[in-house]
Amino acid sequence: MTESRNSTPAAASAAMDPHAASVREERLLLLLSIFVGVISGLLVVSFRMAIEWLTVLLQGSVPGPHQPRLLIVPVLAGIVIAVLVRFVFPAARGSGVNQTKAALYIHNGYISSRTVLGKFLLSAFAIGSGFSLGPEDPSLQIGAGVASLISRRFGISRARLRLFAPIGAAAGLAAAFNAPISAILFVIEEVIGNWSAAVLGSVVLSAVSAVVVARWFWGAEPMFRIPVVNLVDPRELMAYAVLGIIGGIASLVFTKALGWLRPLLRRQGPNWQLLHPPAAGFLVGCIGYFGLPQIMGAGYETIDQAMHGQFALKLLLLLALFKILATTLSFSSGTPGGMFAPTLFIGAMFGASVGAFEHLYFPHLTGPIGSYALVGMGVLFAAFLRAPLTSVFMVLEVSGNYSIIVPVILSNTIAYLLSRALQPVPIFEIFTHQDGLYLPSMEERREESNLHLEDALQPVAVPVLQGSDTLASAAGAYAQYAENPGSAVLVQCTDGLWYAARRAEIDSILTGSPSPPSEASVAGEQLPARDPVASDANPTLEQRLGTERTPVLFPDLPLASALPHFRRWPLLPVTNRAVRGALEGTVSLEDVLKRYQQR
Amino acid sequence: MASEIGENATARRSLVLRDAVSLGAIFLITGLLFVCTLFLFRSFSAHRAELARRWSDRGRRALADNKPKEAIADLHAALLYAPGSRDYEQLLAQALGQAGRTEESYNYFLGLHETAPGDGDINLALARLAAARGNRSEAVQYYRAAIYGTWSAGDGVERRAAVRSELARYLIAQQDPESARMELLIAGGNSPDTYERDMNFGHLFEAAQDPKNAAIYYHKAIALRPDSAEALENAGRLAYSAADYASARKLLERASQLRSREDSSQAAGDADAAHNAGRLLELTPAPSLPARERVSRILALRSIAKKRLDACTQQAGQQLAASDIAARWSGPDANPSAVALIREPARQEALLELVFDTERKLDSVCGPASGDDALVLRLAPTIKETTATHD
Repeated sequence: MTESRNSTPAAASAAMDPHAASVREERLLLLLSIFVGVISGLLVVSFRMAIEWLTVLLQGSVPGPHQPRLLIVPVLAGIVIAVLVRFVFPAARGSGVNQTKAALYIHNGYISSRTVLGKFLLSAFAIGSGFSLGPEDPSLQIGAGVASLISRRFGISRARLRLFAPIGAAAGLAAAFNAPISAILFVIEEVIGNWSAAVLGSVVLSAVSAVVVARWFWGAEPMFRIPVVNLVDPRELMAYAVLGIIGGIASLVFTKALGWLRPLLRRQGPNWQLLHPPAAGFLVGCIGYFGLPQIMGAGYETIDQAMHGQFALKLLLLLALFKILATTLSFSSGTPGGMFAPTLFIGAMFGASVGAFEHLYFPHLTGPIGSYALVGMGVLFAAFLRAPLTSVFMVLEVSGNYSIIVPVILSNTIAYLLSRALQPVPIFEIFTHQDGLYLPSMEERREESNLHLEDALQPVAVPVLQGSDTLASAAGAYAQYAENPGSAVLVQCTDGLWYAARRAEIDSILTGSPSPPSEASVAGEQLPARDPVASDANPTLEQRLGTERTPVLFPDLPLASALPHFRRWPLLPVTNRAVRGALEGTVSLEDVLKRYQQR
Repeated sequence: MASEIGENATARRSLVLRDAVSLGAIFLITGLLFVCTLFLFRSFSAHRAELARRWSDRGRRALADNKPKEAIADLHAALLYAPGSRDYEQLLAQALGQAGRTEESYNYFLGLHETAPGDGDINLALARLAAARGNRSEAVQYYRAAIYGTWSAGDGVERRAAVRSELARYLIAQQDPESARMELLIAGGNSPDTYERDMNFGHLFEAAQDPKNAAIYYHKAIALRPDSAEALENAGRLAYSAADYASARKLLERASQLRSREDSSQAAGDADAAHNAGRLLELTPAPSLPARERVSRILALRSIAKKRLDACTQQAGQQLAASDIAARWSGPDANPSAVALIREPARQEALLELVFDTERKLDSVCGPASGDDALVLRLAPTIKETTATHD
């Protein structure tokens, strides 16, 4: 019987006592995170190799304008990709970020091996043949897929199984970017949505393992190298602010283009959709053939050239605009591939344009073009992908240069705020809505404001008695409140604490008659024990109330923290943190509920 | 209860075993995947290195053929396959500079400089680019960094001296001969003697307005190659300028003799210069001469000046009559006897002054002097310095 019940790890785990099972899973989570990181790192290294190999094979070692293969290869590749996506790897389309989120929130962390394989092969083929897409988001999904595949073998509970997707995603992204901090932040900003302690350690472990593997192969050099930025003239920050504005507007154009074309193409029938990738390939190939082969593929070499000031202002602007077009076409056609690299490309071109413009018209400002290009990358990342924190760290990590921090923060913040104002729905959310999914919006979740007690706080409108008063004097004071309609009475005790009593309770104490049973006593809770001193000749009100006191609450505590106390107390006094016992106001259950309903 | 505990223990044992086996399997798969990736990566790297080498060779050839634009494209391609290769980056930056894309080249070198701030080649390239951009302080700073930097290729001592010479040349071009001289003095002391180097330093010292040191280097060059007409001529020219007419004549005569075998026009020039030096030796009224000899030379100078005055009076008599020169020539100091001059040395100086003033005046009124008149004019400012050299 036991044998048959324990034939799968999940069944065996279920047979264990819950605490032991939880400990096992926690340990496995950490241990497996390392394996997930290493395997994801190895797969991402292979993925990058595959892309570069295919690029040389399909586009030639140095693609240049007017090479016929620039027209032919993307079309043929588009046909193959369309057929494979339609019949073999239907889940491989798209960037990979939303698919990973869907795995986390909808499919209990499940990503099929077929999807991982399809993503690997088709993304490499698409990018290698010149589609304007990037390898980072597919790497993220490959990592998540690896994590899903590994975790399923260990019979881990559904809750933990779900966590493996972001762990793998962080590993994949970290290996692709050679930037562990950015990967961790991105997964937290965009996939998980909050700093969950349960998963943070594993995310860090997997990202670090993946980066160690990637660096073992590719070396530890940062992705881009720019000179140290010395802001000699503070006016140069104006140029960076302008770059932030341009980034915000460019991200709006890019988002609008994708938001318009993608659903338009997806509405067409499945047979028509087979034509989308070759058609997109042809158009992208045309851009390359007629003069801008730099926009084909991920474009990191072109970013590097822009950083070293090798393009004139007009060419930089052309590259940025045509990259937006090429990426919109490539991505909307349903070709698997990512958005990160094109976003960085567009940002770098706009950044370098601002730098080139500055050099041309304000030669006394001496900021290197490379730094503008680098900041531009971060700007578009913040504005388009809506990951402001990741964008700052990404710039620092891919350049290994801390001197650029001030311009990065300034530009990214401006671009992010502008983008939010102009386009309230982030791009990933637009895609999920287009796909008929409703995944949680991480941006909304970040912005969610928690209500506090101060939001429901009311002025004190109930009788307030002194606990140190004798019953007789308390009765006198209480009589003054005869007209007061409140159902509760607050008693200030000598220890600085408060007692919130029901009116009936006070009435019975002051008149000496037994009080009616409260809801709490009905539910089995004990009312405050009568103090033995109560039988004294002149007992105080406090003595008659016993030792129990209402909980100490402060205005900045979450509003929800008050809810459990209304079972016992009719009203809750809210006191000042600085002066013990000083009353700021009161909250009742009604006040709290009313405040929640107002949201 | 007991059976439940037992069941729990069995489940735990079974799970631990499963986990161990699964972890072992993952470990093996990871190892296998690593080996496969490594194998593929090696092949991939070799292929990329080959592509990089091929493109860089093309770039190098284009650079050597002075086709910087082609070199730029080729080296870009090489860097696609060997990103971060310092050699290729340096070549590319060089090609950019050669193609006139100074700003890009400068940025590229700056990037390289950041990773190797002490590299002599990069600092030198940056110094040249800063000079081309007109940034003097940066150029000097990078030249100095190059001098004190590390040189991986070639003889460090020699390269440093060469950079110092280049810096001196730059400073000369920047009208800062004083700093240039300092650099040349250090560079001269730090490199071994060769004919070419000595000639080079001679030229540089001359350009830095330091004829004394220039002459030293020309003489060193003559010592190493006594039949060098160029060195002899340069040394002779400097001696002539320094009023060392005896040496000048000797050196220029030798230069003329050597030149006559190859280039007659140069030889004639050297011979003329040697003749002038000889004539100056005959005319110089050095104070150290015996009184009789000195007076005889002063009188010879007087007769040269008088002859020119008479000729010029016919041309521009009115102009001369208006000046005080005519009056001075009719005064008592203009026609002293030899005996009077020997007896009164003060009159020697007065007569010399009249002679020189006359030649100067005639130079402005009747055109530039030639022949002996030009030599007399040449004696005018150096008269007091010739004492030592005449002996």
